[in-house]
Amino acid sequence: MNKPLFAIAVALGIASVAAVHAQAPAAVSRAPAINDAQIANIVYTADQIDITAAKQALKKSRNEDVRAFAKEMVRDHAAVNAQALTLVKKLDVTPENNPTSESLSKGAAAELKKLAVLKGAAYDKAYVDNEVAYHKTVNAALSGTLIPAAQNAQLKSLLETGLKLFQEHQMHAEHLARQLH
Amino acid sequence: MLRTMILIASLALAGGSLPVNAATKAAPHATAPAHVVHAIVIDKMQYGPIPTDVHAGDIIEWVNHDIFEHSATARDGRFDVDLKPGATVRMTAVAGTTAFFCKFHPGMTGTLVVK
Repeated sequence: MNKPLFAIAVALGIASVAAVHAQAPAAVSRAPAINDAQIANIVYTADQIDITAAKQALKKSRNEDVRAFAKEMVRDHAAVNAQALTLVKKLDVTPENNPTSESLSKGAAAELKKLAVLKGAAYDKAYVDNEVAYHKTVNAALSGTLIPAAQNAQLKSLLETGLKLFQEHQMHAEHLARQLH
Repeated sequence: MLRTMILIASLALAGGSLPVNAATKAAPHATAPAHVVHAIVIDKMQYGPIPTDVHAGDIIEWVNHDIFEHSATARDGRFDVDLKPGATVRMTAVAGTTAFFCKFHPGMTGTLVVK
């Protein structure tokens, strides 16, 4: 695993650890260590990261399949975020910055920098490989941590739909990666 | 007198012709099979139940309740319906069995059987 992605995995790992910790003192308090406002922020950040990476791909790549994939990422992740923003407004929740979302942003910035210097087929391959790994990591966090921790039913439902969507993205990225290798 | 006769004749013709016209218009509905509308609803990244009693000429109504763009794309190229978020698109069913998928999210699949 590359360094930026490792940072993202660690960031999402923090959320996992937080969830585990939340279960331990259940007898004392039922409040999860990660709350809905933080979850909303993590999901929004994770979506935004993929949109930014896709926009970079649309500037750099001339491969039609890679460009089609990047357009799909922009369209789908933007739709999730629009829904997430509508939901947080409706629920009157202010997304809270937290160590996980901060780490995600930091790791993604490093990845973008790394990808920025690559060109042509090398860039396409690196972008798609990163998309495979990124979606795997985010999907693991969604299913293992964020969905179980979400308290609000509508947020949980959005995350569940998001997981199905991102699993599709992962499959699409894996298919594309096989074409490029 | 002549005027009265013309008026009576006109009324008689009108009265006689109306039911005939009505019957002529009604006849196709009575004998030809009605074209039923079958809705297939997409929600939460999946196609809803696929209707089972579809006949050629019926209408398939694709309804996208998701926040994402989807498609109903036949594997054999028979149809390719783009479905923007919230869109409803109708098409006429053609006899045969067709496997279809979403070209944006290929894990979404279904099979439409038209008799």
